[in-house]
Order: sequence, then C-alpha cells, then structure tokens
Amino acid sequence: MIAEQIHHYLRTFFIETNCKIEDETSDYLTVQLTADIDKRIMNRPFYWQFIESTKAEPNPLKVTFITKQKENLNIRGEYIHYGSMRMHQIFQATKDLGCFVQMYEDIEGASLFPWIGANFKVSYHTDQTKELLFSLGINLIHGSVKSDFQDILCALQLTDELPKNAYCLPYIVSPMRAIERLETAIENYIANDDLSWADEAKKRWKREQEILDHFYEDVENKPEIYEIEKKALEERFQPRIKIEIVSGGLFYLK
Amino acid sequence: MMIQKSSEWKEEFARRLEKGGPWDNWMLYKMAYEVVKDQLITDFSGLQAPKFLTNIQFLEHQIDAARTVIEKMNGKAILADEVGLGKTIEAGLILKEYILRGLVKKALILVPASLLTQWVDELNAKFFIPAIGCRKKNVPFEQYDFVVMSMDMAKRSPYREKIYEQNYDMIIIDEAHKLKNNKTQSYQFVQGLKKKFCLLLTATPIQNNIFEIFYLVSLLKPGHLGNVESFQSYFKKGKNGLQEDEYLKELVNQVMIRNRRQDTGIEWVGRHVETIPIQFTDEEKEVYEMIQQLKERTSVFANSFAMTTLLKEMCSSKEAAYLTLVKMKEKMQSRDEIDYIEEIIEKMSNLEINSKAEKTYEIIQKAKDKVIIFTEYRATQHYLQWYLYQKGIKSVLFNGKFSKNKRDWMRQLFKDYADVLIATESGGEGINLQFCHHVVNFDLPWNPMKIEQRIGRVHRFGQQSDVYIYNLAIQNTIEDRIIDLLTNKIDVFEKVVGEIDDILSNKVEEPIYNSPSFVPNFHFEDFGLEDQLGFT
Repeated sequence: MIAEQIHHYLRTFFIETNCKIEDETSDYLTVQLTADIDKRIMNRPFYWQFIESTKAEPNPLKVTFITKQKENLNIRGEYIHYGSMRMHQIFQATKDLGCFVQMYEDIEGASLFPWIGANFKVSYHTDQTKELLFSLGINLIHGSVKSDFQDILCALQLTDELPKNAYCLPYIVSPMRAIERLETAIENYIANDDLSWADEAKKRWKREQEILDHFYEDVENKPEIYEIEKKALEERFQPRIKIEIVSGGLFYLK
Repeated sequence: MMIQKSSEWKEEFARRLEKGGPWDNWMLYKMAYEVVKDQLITDFSGLQAPKFLTNIQFLEHQIDAARTVIEKMNGKAILADEVGLGKTIEAGLILKEYILRGLVKKALILVPASLLTQWVDELNAKFFIPAIGCRKKNVPFEQYDFVVMSMDMAKRSPYREKIYEQNYDMIIIDEAHKLKNNKTQSYQFVQGLKKKFCLLLTATPIQNNIFEIFYLVSLLKPGHLGNVESFQSYFKKGKNGLQEDEYLKELVNQVMIRNRRQDTGIEWVGRHVETIPIQFTDEEKEVYEMIQQLKERTSVFANSFAMTTLLKEMCSSKEAAYLTLVKMKEKMQSRDEIDYIEEIIEKMSNLEINSKAEKTYEIIQKAKDKVIIFTEYRATQHYLQWYLYQKGIKSVLFNGKFSKNKRDWMRQLFKDYADVLIATESGGEGINLQFCHHVVNFDLPWNPMKIEQRIGRVHRFGQQSDVYIYNLAIQNTIEDRIIDLLTNKIDVFEKVVGEIDDILSNKVEEPIYNSPSFVPNFHFEDFGLEDQLGFT
C-alpha cells in the first residue's frame, strides 16, 4: 500500500469506527479516538486499567497521523506507513471488528434466500510457509456452494437492516452444519492439491537428521543435546496444515 | 498429514447467531478481508518483508543473503559478510520474514553488551520488531517475545535456566566468533539451547585455526563437518592438500554466506595497506636484547608465553614493558637475577626515544588528516597521548569498556576537536568512524581478524575516500615473526573461507615452516597453530 492508499484506508477506518476526524490534508489526519479504538491501537493498558478501576472520566487520545513525510510539514504527529507497528495494530483492529456480519440484499419487497459466507485461510507450514484464501458461500436451503463468494457479495447492494417488505426464507440446513460442509470442501481441496512441498520438507528433514546422527555416531548414550537438536528438527520440518476461518456471516440474498 | 482446525471463529459465530448479534460493520468486514488477502503469503519462496520495510534501502546482496538462508539453508546459517556490509540488516530481514510467515513467534538475540542498545534500536526503529533489551536483573524477559540480551548475562544463572525454559523459535548470535572454543561456558550454553532457526553473525569465522570453523559449524549444525574424531584425524595428520581444502570450503559454504565488499556491486573506496619496517635506536636495541637474554638468566621466564608477551610489550613502548618487568622482579629471588633486571629497568628508564612513536608522528604530519592509532596496551595508549601532546597534537582515548554515552562523546570529540584517536584493542568493535581515513596499527595482535575488525571501523559502508593503513613492525624482533604468522593465518582463512581484503601489505611467498629465518625458540603450540600447519 502506498501513502495515498494508507491515507484512504485510515480515513475509512476512523469514520467507520466513529472516530471524529478533526483536521485533514492529503499529508496527515488528526483524529479524536473513541475509547474503544484508543484501547485497541494506542498501547496504553495501564491507563485504561487505571480509568476502569478508579471509574474516572476516560480521556481518549487525539492523534495526528502523518501519511506523507514532507520536510516543510509543520505539524507534530506520528508518521504511519504500511510496515509500522501502529498500522499493524490498525489492521489487527480492522480484522477484530470485521469478523461476523449479518447482511441483507437491499431490494424492497423481495424474498431473500439465506446463505452462509465464510472466508478460510489455509496455511501450509514446514520450515517455509504458503497460504491460501478461500471465500465460500453455501445456500442454506438447497446446499449449493459458490466459490469467490466475497466478490459476489461485493457486487451486490447490501444493508444491515431488513429491507422494507422483504421476506427472509427460513433455512433448512443449519448454519453450523453448513460451515462443516464448507470445511469438508476445503479439506477435499487440500487432499487434491499438490503436496510435494511436504515430501520435499520430509526429505530435508531426513537429510538433516542423518547429519545429526552422524555427529553422534559413535556415542553410546546420546546426550541431552542430541534430543534437543532432534526435537528442533522436528519442529522445523514437520509439515502441518492449518485451516482457519478469518471471517464470515449470514447473508440473505435474492 | 497433520491438519489443525481452529474452532474459535465457529464458536463465537454460533454464540452471536443465538443471541441475534451483535454484528460487525460491513465496511470493516470488507476491509478486513482485503487486509488478509493483501498480506497473504502466496508462495513458499520469495520475501514478504521488504514490502513492509520501505524505510530501508536494502542492498542486493542483503536480499540475496536473506533468500538463500530461507530457501536454501532452511533457516540455519552463519552470516559472515566482511565488516561493514550489513550483517545486522540481513539478520533483521530474515527474522522479520519468519515473523511474517508465522514461523517465528519468539526470538532471542545474544550480543556483546556494548552492542545491545544498538540492536534494540535497530530492531524497533528499522524492522518494527518490538524487541526489548534485557540488561537489568529484574526485567521479566520471559514475558516478551523478542529479547536482546548480552551473552555474558545469558550464560549465567539464573538467566541460563530461564532461557532454557523458553521455547524460542529463533536464536541470533552476534559476534559469534567468540564461540570458537568449545570448552567455554558460552559455547556450552549455546550448545544446550534449542536452535530451531538460528543465525550466527561473524565477519571472522576463522581467527586462528581450522578447528574454530569446525566448532562454529557444529554448534549450528552438528555433524555437517563430521564428528570431532573424523575431523581431527582428517586435519591433524597434516595431509590436507589443496583438494581437501576445496572440499571443506564447499561444505562450509553450504551453511555460510560471505559477501565481500567487491562483490556487492557498490563502489568501494580503496584500501592501501603499508607495512612499515622500523629500526630500533641502538639504546632501544640494547634493552630489547637484554630482555631476550632474561631467559638464560632466570627461571621466571621459563614460560615462553610470558617472554613473548614481554618482547611484544617492549616493541610497543617501554611503559608497556615496565609494568611487566616490575611484576617479574617481585617473583625473583637471587641477587643476580634482581641485579640484572634492575639494570634493564634502569637502562629502560633512560631511553629517550621511542622509534615507533616518532614514526607515528611522521605519519600524522604527512596525513594532514585525522588518524586512529590502535595499540594493545593501555600504558602505550597513555604514553602516546602524552607524547603527541608534547608535539602539539590533540588526541582522545578510547576503549571498549566505555559506556555507550562515553563512546558517543569520545567519537564526537574526535570528530570535532581532536586530531588523533588512540584506541586499545577492545575499542575495535561497534564504533563507526567513517570520517577518518588513516589507521596506524602501532602494534600487531596475533590474530589477523582483529586487525580486520580495526580496519573495519573506517573501511565500511559510507566511507567516502580511500583509507590508508600503516602496520608498524620493528625489524629483527618478534614483530617480524608476528607478521609471518599473520600471513599464514590469512592463508588458512582464504583456503577455507574465502578471500579477504588486504590486511598486511605483502605476502610472504615462502611458508614459514620451510623458512630458514624461522626462529626455533618460537612455540607454535602457544597459538594453536601446530595442527593446521601440519607439523608437530
């Protein structure tokens, strides 16, 4: 993300989280944080602990974030960019606050079908990493599954309130059951995916284990450090797969 | 295959469904998805970290080093770039990459105490890694994910035990050549650490002998160079020809990255090294020879190491030798011995000229520029300051025991005010003096890599003009032999590790063990050399 994108991102983030933007140019923005956002991004747990235990009036910070550093910029503030810790915290806050939704397609008087949408992150780990992101949707009436579901949702007009005179069909497949179906779909995908990376990692593991064994070849009672090294090799090379739902929701679509 | 499924999201979603909310904001939901997508690691290879670190201008060799460590060396390596090429940057980059890839959650960085602050600052300010420096007793370092600690502290109880209890994913050790000896507490401490991912940083993986690289590699990857017995029998017999050296070099290079200044593609300023032979005055020579004869006069000097030290000191300054002589005198018993040593002391106190100091003065005058003088002895350091003061030259002293503040202050004084900085050996690491272009090695250490470290203070990234190195050696003294020995050590280094920049001016063509000029009373075993040179 370049400076303009960061700036745009921050503005949207603060507006959506009800933090008031008090001053703004294309180079910086000054924001009055809410207590909730202050807690999430400003790293001052002791302050908040103090406020909560004394029941004092909280005084969330007003911060100036500088998105473009210029020499003649005559303002005090915190420079923020893609890699900075603060940006990392704001990304994290976004993820925490954008996890679970319930949305309706914004069409008056329509009959709306219930869907579950879920975004899965699959990670392949050994001493290296690769991640895959799947956005799947499943219809809770007839169970059909759609991929790239997030793109489909983004193309629609959605609202968080039931549109006028709209009717939501009750679901037949339970949402939790549906999520399990999606998980199975992901597992099937993995089973058919190219897993040579895991074999490669096992080969590397084996080679390094042989080297280690060679070092202690003539030692009858292997010392503790041998076991430590062996454990470290296992932790480094053991192939493992993680499936995690990063976000999802219940959607009523036409 | 192990598949872990996290149920966190599902449980919370079920809870919210049941209660009919609360539901999150749709815009934030979309943004969060975009963030996840944007930060997805789509490939096993390649680096993610640079796009987060746009504040750092990485050099090509630094990026290559990081990729090689991660993709080819499976995350365990010795980073052995020449001084000043940014090993710290490479290590930071690798650590950051593993953090982003979710493979490292906790890391321990072990450094010399004098570099601790610098590491903490760099990790925080450059790499946005929230590292804490642990230098006080009561820092609850177990609670932090990224800890920088001095090796001296870490190896001692109770830190040692506490560190063993932690499950660090990555261990980084700076100035790792300090682990060359497997008998030391530091070595054994590191040996007992679980090293999942591990980086050892040193510009000088071999300092004195070939076994040092064996122990260093064995710490990183036991067995990579075989086990102790096989390695020893291989190299002790002295049969190792060029071919075996090539083979060893290849093995070492599988776990070691070494960038040289000249292959970095950056214009490096030149390095001009000159070894300046100096003649003692007749009076100095007389004292030197009397000291040499001490061995026959007294048993106190039966130990060749004490003798060597004293001769070296005499080549530096009478001030350096004086203290040792006085200490020796206390051990002496017979009248004869004492008379003899008193005679030396008296002759020594009458010496008015220090030939080396005069030469140094000449060099300073010719340079018309700032000069750093390195000496191994504190007494010489103080003498030189006095001597130069007499000549109207302002100097500041520097040594490694100075606190960070004092170091910075002295550096500043040198930059703005003084003409000369006089540093002892221990001042060699961790200061950058790119504004200076002349280095005088007033006396030479046994270890060529120490000289390289000294030169590295000025000949590093950021130096604008050529640098000039003057190695002073007094002819027909032990210093001749030091030069020979240094040449040989450099030779071993180059055979096993790779070329290095000039440290001495001209190489001795003939190996010393064939040389008739080789003086028989010189003992190789004192310096751990006999093995690799193939004679016992």
